[in-house]
Order: sequence, then structure tokens, then C-alpha cells
Amino acid sequence: MHLDIVKTLTQLCEAAAVSGFEKHGATIAAELLTPYCDSVEIDAFGNVIGMRRCGKTPAKTVLLDAHLDQIGFLVTEVLDGGFLRFTQAGGVDPRMLLGCEVTVLADEALYGVISCMPPHLLKPGEQDKAVPMEEMLIDTGLIDAKSRIKLGTPIVFAEKVCQLAPDSITGKCLDDRAGIVAIAQAMEKLKDAALSVDTAVLISVQEETTSLGAGIGTWRIRPDYAIAVDVGHAKTPDAPSDKTYEYGGGVMIGMGPNMHTGFTKALIKTARAEQIDHQLEIMEGHSGTNAWAMQVAAYGTAQAILSMPLRYMHTPIESVKLSDINAVSNLLACFLKDFDGEVRI
Amino acid sequence: MMLEYLQTLCGLPGASGCEDAVRDYIRAEAAGVAEEIRTDPMGNLMIFRKGKKSIGKTVMLAAHMDEVGFIVKNITDEGMLKFGFVGGIDPRVVIGRRVRFGEVVGVVGIKAVHLTQAAERKTMPKTGELYIDIGAMSKSAAEDMVSLGDYGVFDSAYVPFGDGLIKARAIDDRLGCAVLLTLLKEQPPVDTWFCFTVQEEVGLRGALTAAYNVQPDYALVVEGTTAADLADVPAHKTVCRVRGGAVLPFMDGRTIYDQGVFELLRTAAEKRAVTWQTKHMVAGGTDAGVIHKSRAGVRVGAVAAPVRYIHSPACVASIEDMEGVLTIARAFLEDIEHV
Repeated sequence: MHLDIVKTLTQLCEAAAVSGFEKHGATIAAELLTPYCDSVEIDAFGNVIGMRRCGKTPAKTVLLDAHLDQIGFLVTEVLDGGFLRFTQAGGVDPRMLLGCEVTVLADEALYGVISCMPPHLLKPGEQDKAVPMEEMLIDTGLIDAKSRIKLGTPIVFAEKVCQLAPDSITGKCLDDRAGIVAIAQAMEKLKDAALSVDTAVLISVQEETTSLGAGIGTWRIRPDYAIAVDVGHAKTPDAPSDKTYEYGGGVMIGMGPNMHTGFTKALIKTARAEQIDHQLEIMEGHSGTNAWAMQVAAYGTAQAILSMPLRYMHTPIESVKLSDINAVSNLLACFLKDFDGEVRI
Repeated sequence: MMLEYLQTLCGLPGASGCEDAVRDYIRAEAAGVAEEIRTDPMGNLMIFRKGKKSIGKTVMLAAHMDEVGFIVKNITDEGMLKFGFVGGIDPRVVIGRRVRFGEVVGVVGIKAVHLTQAAERKTMPKTGELYIDIGAMSKSAAEDMVSLGDYGVFDSAYVPFGDGLIKARAIDDRLGCAVLLTLLKEQPPVDTWFCFTVQEEVGLRGALTAAYNVQPDYALVVEGTTAADLADVPAHKTVCRVRGGAVLPFMDGRTIYDQGVFELLRTAAEKRAVTWQTKHMVAGGTDAGVIHKSRAGVRVGAVAAPVRYIHSPACVASIEDMEGVLTIARAFLEDIEHV
């Protein structure tokens, strides 16, 4: 049975996993990997580690990483009238929050709306100013929220995944559930293939804050090669064109000091040979992804990064194209199928 | 029953100028019980039903079918929609939200926070810079999905939440439509014209011709009204409060409500032990603003449910307040002959 990408993405995106609160999401991710791995375990931090051995010894290990956590919010104060104050976990633009629907992850998940002060209460000119997050409120509709909601309770966007034009998917936390799905899809494509390398999958925690999961997970696995699978910025009318990539333009292959040049060139060679749509993402320093932490874990790792162009990152309307997810999984599968553990470029 | 009507009505699109789906639903519901159903060139739906008695006066109940929404004004080469607001939408609530043009879903985009400067994040983008992404990869692909002039609404579900609250879009004024429909179906106490008006949100346009058509002696407008009872708002600025009961305004930005009708409503509420409040702020307006100036004048009143975040994708109202509105609207018909 083929992995249903939209269905799987929907399930993954519904499994809340705010950075630092990933336990529930880890269970769902572990279930997803189980059919494709010899072993799957969850570590004390919530990292999910799957191993697929190739049966040969010695064999090199290639690690595929996608992060489990999502940006979210934490309750900082519970006020009278059912209102909450909150802060962010991960980077958020406050300008898209008013009127947003959220889920407060109390013992029983609670629905809430981010309140918007009616325009008649604003002073002239105030409507042009963004409301800072510390002045915002979540309306839980409860008469007594204090008895139901504890400080530090995580909060996520409520929007479910939905389809825009065919092939385009929108929803919360496609960053980086799309990466998890791309890895699962690659593992499925390789299910019956004989490989010459061991494949490790790391679904890592806390990327949005410190990359803790990627650092400790990579240390534990000690891979020879590691590929961070994440999302990159796709072009939109309001974004700088030199920092964004074609939506639907295929897998973004990262280049720069965070990446091992030979390993990256080997991936590019495969993309060309297999005619997989791809675009090069040149990063002169920190890639802003788990690749930064993984590259220097233990004795160091030959690192690469593959990304899917994503619109509206860190909003409830993140959008990605299925064809781009497919390009990532194709490149991973095609590369691993023929990889003997040596980069000869 | 009223809440079931409300849920169905809040699921129908009806931006001002495109109320067809709402009108079709109400007309179909009324078909079996109405004595007369009229429409006019504006698109108002006016339904007469004989009551349990006749009082020799023409009584009108009014609720508007339309809601704030969007209209497609242009399509860019990249396939993004440029749009205008239909009615008064606060531009601060649209970014990051989903919208719907028929079956086509779109999102109001904003570039990733990573691509912004700190100063930029303190200022709202200009409305003209906003765009809707429907996933089309080119202008022609977008044109296959929507056309210039298409009307859209927020894509937002009807969600009961908290302690007895409802979140939905367009509670203003599908609540009024649901109240009227309930009273129409149960047979009103007196002969009544139930007027479902169009284009309230762009300037009370429909009610103007509906009132001329029906020629009422008395009219009651059933509405949703702004509640600003948020945690940080001082009591005197809250206008009215959710869970504070049905709102009986004595005056707003467009109308001084008829003293006799206001007193009738106030007494009717108290007689039936319905909690009521009034608006602390004289602002805004309802269809009454044009109805009471119609012909030689009409004696008007209004009853409204307090609604938080009105004109946003996530309007919030209390079930108890809304049921109070229904009881008072019914009481208006029961008591109007004594005004």
C-alpha cells in the first residue's frame, strides 16, 4: 500500500509538538517509521530514531533528519473572564495573529481565538501599528479559565491541513512535517531495494529553538553522512526574490560551509542523472537548520541539506507543493539506492 | 431550532451584493408556511405570514443576510489575487487567514518572519499590498479557478466552545436571520413581514427599499453588535458584554430608537425575566437607520446579541444571549399592539 501523502501530512500536522513538548508527536512519528525500519526508539528527549540496516559489515551510516517540533505558544498568565496571555516558542510574526484560532493543550484540548480589539477603541493611526504579542489575549470562552489551564501550557494553531489548487497543500507546521513525510516516502520507495549503507532516520526535537534534538541524536547515531530535510523559503510577491526559491521548482539543495561539498555534489549529480527538479540554495554561513548542529556533532559529519520550498513559514497557512515533497523523496531514494558509502567527487 | 438555523446560515456565503445562497435557503425554508414571498431588484427577501391575530398595523422584523467579505479585483502574473474588502473588515485580522470563493480556498499570505526586519514587524502591511494565494501557478491557472468580481468570505467553521459560546463567521447578522426564521416557522403572534435585507454592510442599502416595499408602522431590527469586553478594556469602553444579555439600544450612530418601542422592549424583557443590557457607546448603526426615515417615518426598535470580534473570521457570541434576543423579538410581536 502506498503512503498517502495528504492523509499522512494531515495526521502528522494534527499531532501537536511545540518545541519542548513533543512526546505525543513522537509516538505518531514512530508509528509512521515502523514499517520501514528494523528498529524504532524514542529517547528521553522525544527524539525518534529509526534504523534500517543494510546487512553488510562494515557499512557506512547515512542519517536522514527532519524535525518533529513546531512553533507555538505558551500560556504566561491566566486572567479573569477566560482570557490568557502568552509568549512564543519559536519565531512568529505578530502581524498575522489577530483573529487566529488556536488549540490550548490543557489536559483536555481547548479551543481559543486570539482577540482583536475592535477598531473603535483604537486611537487614530493605531490601526497601522502591529499589536505586540505581549499585549495580545487568547479568548477561551471559559467563565473560569484559572481552574482549567496551568501556566506553561503549550498552544498551537488550530487550522487543519487543506488543499488549495491540486498539488498545493496549506496548514500549520508543514515546517517540518513535510520533511518527515518526504523521508517516510523515500524509505517506502527503498523498501524492497538492497542498500549498501545503513540508513538512520532521526525525527528530532527542539529545532525551532536550539537544535537540541539534532545535536544529541546525531551524537548517539554517529553517522558518516547526514542529510537535514527541512523547508526553505518559496517566492511570494512580498518576499525578497534573492532570498527565495521557486515554489514547485523541485528540491532545494543547500551549498556553503555548513555542507560537505563532495557529498552535496554527489547529490546534485544524482538529481541531474535522474532528472529530478532541483534548485541550488547557496548559504554563506549558518543554514538556520539542524544541519548546523549535526555537522559538528561528535567527530563531525559529512553534511548535506535538502529543502522543500515553503510559503508563509511559521504561520497557520504554510503552503507546500506535493511535487516538491516528491522531488525530495525521489532524490533521497535514488541517491541511497546506489550509494556505497564513498563520495568520489 | 434557532441554533440549528444559525449553524446552517453561518455555513453559507453571503458577502454584500452576493447574498444568493442565504436567500435561497431562507426562501426554501419559508415556502411551506408563508402567505406571500416578495423579492425586489436589490435582492431583499420579504416574507409575510399571518399571525395568531391581526392588529390592523403593519409590523416588520428586519435582519440582514449579507456579511463582510472580499471581491477579486485583479489577478497578478504569478496567479495571486488582489482584492477589495466588501464592508468594514479590520485589515489587521485578515493576514494569515483562509478565505473561500465558492469551492476555491485561498490564504491571505505574508512572507516568512525570517525575511522581515524588526522595524517591519511593528507596522501593518498596507491593505493594497495584501494578496490571496489560491495555489495557482500562473495568471491563466488562477483565471480557471476564479474570475474578476467573484465574491469571497472568510473560511471559518461554526464551533461551540468555552462555556456556552459559539465561534463562527457572519454571526452578524445570520443570528438575526435565524431569529426571524424561527419566529416565521412557529407562526408569529401577529401578522408580520419578515424582511431579510441585503447590503447592510456597505451602507444599509437593502433595508431602504425593503421598508418602502413593506410600508411598516413598526419595525424591529434584529442584529449582532460589537462587544469589547476583553480583559484589558476598562468597563466604560466595553460597549456591551458577552453573557451580559440581549442588547437593547436606545440610540446609535444612525438612529434614536422610538421611545415607546424601546420601553416596550425593556418592559417585555423584564416581564419575561430575560437579562438585557444597553450599549454604553453611541456608535455604529443598523438597518433601522434607514427604515425609520422611510416614507412618513416608522417607529423602530432594535435588539441585538453582543458579539466579540465582529467582522472578523472568528466572531464570538453566547448561546444564552442569542436565546434572549429570540425571546425579546417574540415578545415584541406579542406586545406591540399595546405600544
